[in-house]
Amino acid sequence: MPRFNFWTVVMILTWLLLFVLLFIPVGSVLVSSLYDQSGNLTFANYLKFLGEPRFHRAFINTLVVGFGGLFGALLLGSIMAFCVSRFVIRGGKFVSLLAILALVSPPFIGAYSWIVLFGAGGVVRGFLRDLGINMPPIYGVGGILIVFSLKFYPYVYLMVSGALSNVNRSLEEAAEGLGLTPWQRTFKISFPMVFPALTAGGLLALIHAIADFGTPRLLGRGYNVLATEAFTLYSAEVGSNMSMATTISVILILVSMVFVMLQRYMSRRNVYHGNMINKPNRIQLKGWRNVLAHVAVYLIGLCGAMPVIISVIYSFRKTNGPVFQNGFALQSYERILFNLGDVIRNSVSFSVAAVVLIVIVGTVVGVLVARRTNFNTALLDGAFMVPYVMPGIVIGIAFIAAFNTGPIVLTGTATIIILSIFIRRLPYTVRTTASSLRQISPSMEEAAISLGYSPFQAFLRITVPLIVPGIIAGGMLSFVTAINELSSSLVLYVGSTMTMPVRIYLLILDGDFGTAAALSTVLLLLSGCAVYIAFRFMGRNEQALL
Amino acid sequence: MGYLEVRNATKQFGASFLALNGVSVAVERGEFFTLLGPSGCGKTTLLRSIAGFNDLTSGEITLDGSNLRIVPPHQRDIGMVFQDYAVFPHLSVFDNVAFGLKPRKVPAAEIKTRVTQALDAVRLGAMADRLPAAMSGGQQQRIGLARAMVINPRLLLMDEPLSNLDAKLRIELREEIRDIQKQVNIATIYVTHDQEEALAISDRICVMNAGRIEQVGTPQEIYGNPQTRFVAEFVGTLNVFQPGAARDGMLNQLGLAAPDDASWAVRPERLDLVAQGSAPAGAAVLEGRVSKFTYLGREAHVQVETPAGLIVVQLANPGMAATRAVGEVVCVLVPRDAPMAFGADGARIGG
Ligand SMILES: Nc1ncnc2c1ncn2[C@@H]1O[C@H](COP(=O)(O)OP(=O)(O)OP(=O)(O)O)[C@@H](O)[C@H]1O
Ligand SMILES: [Mg+2]
Repeated sequence: MPRFNFWTVVMILTWLLLFVLLFIPVGSVLVSSLYDQSGNLTFANYLKFLGEPRFHRAFINTLVVGFGGLFGALLLGSIMAFCVSRFVIRGGKFVSLLAILALVSPPFIGAYSWIVLFGAGGVVRGFLRDLGINMPPIYGVGGILIVFSLKFYPYVYLMVSGALSNVNRSLEEAAEGLGLTPWQRTFKISFPMVFPALTAGGLLALIHAIADFGTPRLLGRGYNVLATEAFTLYSAEVGSNMSMATTISVILILVSMVFVMLQRYMSRRNVYHGNMINKPNRIQLKGWRNVLAHVAVYLIGLCGAMPVIISVIYSFRKTNGPVFQNGFALQSYERILFNLGDVIRNSVSFSVAAVVLIVIVGTVVGVLVARRTNFNTALLDGAFMVPYVMPGIVIGIAFIAAFNTGPIVLTGTATIIILSIFIRRLPYTVRTTASSLRQISPSMEEAAISLGYSPFQAFLRITVPLIVPGIIAGGMLSFVTAINELSSSLVLYVGSTMTMPVRIYLLILDGDFGTAAALSTVLLLLSGCAVYIAFRFMGRNEQALL
Repeated sequence: MGYLEVRNATKQFGASFLALNGVSVAVERGEFFTLLGPSGCGKTTLLRSIAGFNDLTSGEITLDGSNLRIVPPHQRDIGMVFQDYAVFPHLSVFDNVAFGLKPRKVPAAEIKTRVTQALDAVRLGAMADRLPAAMSGGQQQRIGLARAMVINPRLLLMDEPLSNLDAKLRIELREEIRDIQKQVNIATIYVTHDQEEALAISDRICVMNAGRIEQVGTPQEIYGNPQTRFVAEFVGTLNVFQPGAARDGMLNQLGLAAPDDASWAVRPERLDLVAQGSAPAGAAVLEGRVSKFTYLGREAHVQVETPAGLIVVQLANPGMAATRAVGEVVCVLVPRDAPMAFGADGARIGG
C-alpha cells in the first residue's frame, strides 16, 4: 500500500529539478553538438574535432596540464602531508592555514600574481636580471603546471594528512616486529592505507586542472586547452560557433568522467576504516633533516599562498590609473567603493540566494537519500555524481543552450547564475547531509512519532536541530565556492549581473591589477569569514573544504 | 476478546521471506506481555507493526476493539521504549519527558507536575535540568521510560530496553520497570531474548520462533509445561535421553509410553543423585559415571555418562559433601513426572 506521502512528492520534485537543471541542459548540449548550423543531424562536429590539428593540440594540452597538475599536486601535497603528520613541525596549524588560503583564494588571481612576480616585467625577474641572472618568463605550459601544482596541492594535502593521521600505529609496529625496514614499512603498510585518500585528492586536482580555464587563459599565451577553446568558440564576437563549443564541452565531460571511473576502479578494494585507538606519533627530527622538513613544508605553504599574499599587498599600493606608484594608499578600495559596489552586492546576493536554495533543497534531498533507501534513491544518489564531473564552463554553456529559447527563457537574468551555482554545489550538501543523517539513529524520530508528532513534525523538531550545525557549516562552505565561482558565471553574466570573480577577470585583462587585487582581497575576506563560521560550527575540519 | 488483538499477522520482506507467518496474540488490559525468542525470529517486526512503523503484509490489529492498522503511527497513542534509548540529545531531561505532552495540548502547569512525577518515578528527579549526553546508559533508559509513560499511552511497547546495559543494572532496572508498570497499569508488550528476564517480569510470555508462535502462557506454564521442544530448549536447559534399551527400560519402569519416533527429555533440576540401589517408589534410577563437575555457588552441575546418554544433574545448594570426582560411579534419580515426550514434529505429547 504505497502512500502518496511527503517523500514521494520530494522524490518527484528532485527528479524534476535534476531534469530541468541538469539533464535537459546537458542533454541539449549533447544534442546540439550533433547538429550543424542549419539544423541537420550530423557527426561533422566530432569529425572536425578529430580532424583539426587545433583541437588535437587542445586535447593533448588538456591531458598534459591535467596530469602535470595532478603529479605536481601529488608531489607537493604528499610531501607536505607526510611531514606535517609524521614529524614535529613548528607552526603546523599555520601551515594548514596556508593550505586553506591557497584553496579559497579567488580564481585567476593566482595566475596573475605569478605574472606579477615572474612575468615579462615581473618583479622577481627584474630583480634577478639586475643581478645578471636571466630567467625565462613564466608563460606557457611550464607556468601553467607550476601554478596548478601550487593551486591544487591542498586537495591532496588535506586528504592524505587526514588519512595518514588515522593509520593505526599498531599496524606499523606489527610490520616493524616482522622485520621490515622503515622504508619498506612506508611503502608496504602506510602507502596502501593512504592510497584511497591519495587517489581521491589526486582526482580532485585532476578534475579541477582539466576544468580550469583562467590559468591557461592568462599564462598559456597560445597554449590552448579544451576549456579555453570552448570559451573562445562560444564568446567569439564574429563567427561564434555554438555547436563546436558544445562538442568540446561534451568531450570535456567525457574526459572528466573517465577519470572519475578510473579513480573509483583503482580504489575499489582499498577501503580501510581508520582506527583512532592507536594514533601515530610525530617524530622530532634532528639536525639537517629537521631543517629540510621545515623548509619543504614552509616553502610549499608560502608559495601556495603567494597569490593571496601578493594581492593583499598590491591592493594597498598607491596607483595612478592602472599603474602602480611607490608607497601605499587606499585608492584601490576607494575605487571599489565608488564604482564596484554593485558587483559586490551581486556576488553576495547571488551567493546567499544560491546557498539558501542549496541548504533547503540539499537537506531535504539528503534526508531522502539517507532515509528512504530503495532503488530509486540509489539512482538519485548516482545522478548527483553528474554535476561533480561537470566543468563550470560546460554548465554555463549548457544553461545558455537550454534557457535561451523555449519554454523557460533565463539568459541575462540573475536567476540563471544562481541556478548554475545551485546545481553545481547541490551534490555536496546532499552528500554531507546524507552522511550526517546516517549517524543519527532512526529510532530518534520514531520516538517522536510514537509520542504524537507527525513524521514531518518529528523530522523538524528532532532531526533538524541535530543536523543543523553541520548544515550551517556546509552552507558556509558552499558560500565560499559560490562566491568564488567564475567559469560558469563568465559564460552567463550580462552587464547588470556581473559578479566579483568576473570583474576581477576583466580587470586583469584590462591591466588594472590594483583594483583586481583589492577586489580579490574583499573576496578573500568574505570567504575567510565563511570558513571561520563553518569551523566554529563543526570544529576545525579542513577536509570539509574539499 | 483481548484488549490488543493481533490476528493472523503476516509480514513479508523481499520476494518470499516471511518475518511473521500467521501470528495471533491477544493482550489483556494492564497485562505485562513478553515476546521471547531467538534473534531474527520476528519480535521486532511484530512490535513495530503494532507501533505502526512498518505495516503488515496481511492480518489485523485491533486495540480496544478498533482497527489499528488504519491509524497513522503518531495518532496511535502507543508509548515506545527503544533498545538504543533514542533520547533526544539536544533537549534537557525535563524537555525530553515533556516532549510528548506538547502535541497533546497539556497546560504548562500540568506538564510540570506530570513530568516531575514521572521523573521521580524513575528516580531522576534531581537531574531534570541536565542534558542527557553525559548520562549513563541506565539513566538514559530511565528517561526513555519516563518519556513513554508520561503520556499515559494506551499501550506500552519496549524493544529489548535493557540489552545495552550491564548485568547488574539490567536486573535492577527490570524490577523497576515491572513495579512502575503495575502501578500505572498500562498494558505492555516487552521484547527480549533473555529467558530469565522474561520469566522474571512477565504476566504472560509468548515464545516465538522463525516468524511463528510456539507457545503463549504464564512463566510457570512456559517453563514447567513447555508445549514444544523448541520452547523447552529455549527456556531453561534440557537433557535429551538417547533412544535405546536403557531409555526404554527406564520408561518401562516408570510406566511411561509414547510413539516410537518421540523423543524424551528432562530438565536438570528435576533430577537428583542418590545412593546406589535405593530407588523410591514411582521413580527410576540410571547408573553412570561422573564426567564433569561444575560448581556455581548456588548450584552445581554434575554431568553423568549414563547408558541413556550424557545427563546433566543440577544440585541445589551444594555443600562440601555434594562434590563429585570425575569417574565416580553415581545413580541419577528420575522422578516419574519429570520426563517430557515430544513428537517428531516437536509438539509435546501428553503434557
Ligand atoms: N527491512 C527489512 N528487510 C528485510 N528483512 C528484514 C527487514 N527487517 C527485518 N528483516 C528480517 O526479518 C527477520 C525478523 O527480524 P526482527 O528484527 O523482527 O527480529 P528480532 O526477533 O527482533 O531479532 P533480534 O532479537 O535480533 O532483535 C530477520 O530475519 C530480519 O533479517
Ligand atoms: Mg529486534
